[in-house]
Amino acid sequence: MDHQGHSQNPSMGVVGSGAQLAYGSNPYQPGQITGPPGSVVTSVGTIQSTGQPAGAQLGQHQLAYQHIHQQQQHQLQQQLQQFWSSQYQEIEKVTDFKNHSLPLARIKKIMKADEDVRMISAEAPVIFARACEMFILELTLRSWNHTEENKRRTLQKNDIAAAITRTDIFDFLVDIVPREDLKDEVLASIPRGTMPVAGPADALPYCYMPPQHPSQVGAAGVIMGKPVMDPNMYAQQ
Amino acid sequence: METGGFHGYRKLPNTTAGLKLSVSDMNMRQQVASSDHSAATGEENECTVREQDRFMPIANVIRIMRKILPPHAKISDDAKETIQECVSEYISFITGEANERCQREQRKTITAEDVLWAMSKLGFDDYIEPLTMYLHRYRELEGDRTSMRGEPLGKRTVEYATLGVATAFVPPPYHHHNGYFGAAMPMGTYVREAPPNTASSHHHHHHHHHHARGISNAHEPNARSI
Repeated sequence: MDHQGHSQNPSMGVVGSGAQLAYGSNPYQPGQITGPPGSVVTSVGTIQSTGQPAGAQLGQHQLAYQHIHQQQQHQLQQQLQQFWSSQYQEIEKVTDFKNHSLPLARIKKIMKADEDVRMISAEAPVIFARACEMFILELTLRSWNHTEENKRRTLQKNDIAAAITRTDIFDFLVDIVPREDLKDEVLASIPRGTMPVAGPADALPYCYMPPQHPSQVGAAGVIMGKPVMDPNMYAQQ
Repeated sequence: METGGFHGYRKLPNTTAGLKLSVSDMNMRQQVASSDHSAATGEENECTVREQDRFMPIANVIRIMRKILPPHAKISDDAKETIQECVSEYISFITGEANERCQREQRKTITAEDVLWAMSKLGFDDYIEPLTMYLHRYRELEGDRTSMRGEPLGKRTVEYATLGVATAFVPPPYHHHNGYFGAAMPMGTYVREAPPNTASSHHHHHHHHHHARGISNAHEPNARSI
């Protein structure tokens, strides 16, 4: 198992890098693409960028895998589109609000683990129950995509790590997966090799703040056909 | 860029909380795994309640995962546990942002709207449309009971008035793809008194709940106050 994981490291690295290009549906992803794949590696990240000793090798592997990988990413995007569409349709028909897929009491306890949280309206855990279901489904779908890339049928922790690395909105989860599972993805696609597994508090802001450039976010919004996001995003920031 | 920096400073408290939770999660993984197994058999061990309460029940998590996986897929145990940890982190992450908004607006109660706002702010845009629909459906079908269990009507009105003011300052960044939803969202998001779904079909279900007063109670008969 471990050996197999190691032997797949090069392809994982390439995959991680290539994935950046395919995530058109993520409004923040295009903002990080400033040129050829090679430059993505050097420009991504809010921490100091480190050089890529395997740059040439990366380029070579990338050429080799790019076609197959693009097909897989295209398939993933289609699956995600289908997923969100089916979620909306499913919810349109919901009539039972008593049996939630996740226990509301548990959700409330997790919310209250933060001592700053005082009162929670009755509706908030209800919304969270559905949100968490969608979150689990999305994360599982993205993870399974990585499982299939490696021609396995068992979803493993490193598949989840790969999904987290490739998806900007999952940046807050980086600390959940151990460094070893992230290492190659990180080194290849995002220069965060220096980030410890359970980093000091000072380091965490980098996890929680994926680079956001307002102008690029606006552009991404336009590209995605959601121009209304643009003024609101500025208003928020 | 400057805005981004400011945003970073504001998030420091959250990141600290996140770090603590994360470390705790890792430390208690084994215990939680054992606890969840006993929980699956219907028993809840008293001395492990605390640890168990940090995660969603693993059986529920696995059931949801299987919905989107092909039938032949297998899930390793460490993947199951990792997803459990990710869900708790997700709840804490969103809750932290929602709570910040509450405090900024000097409110004490985190509402469903705050949760949706936080998700949008943190990039979970795809979630907003289905969840807004879900909230509308919930209010349409369960709303009568909810309002009866809420705070006194006067106070509730005041709260929503405040929300109305907040709307003026921070317009919701919701986007929409169809006229119906676009019309529904602004109203449904902040003004409960005038639900926009009057035209849609109405299904009423009568459930036997224990209606405890106080808006902080969850919708479960056996919910316990913290």
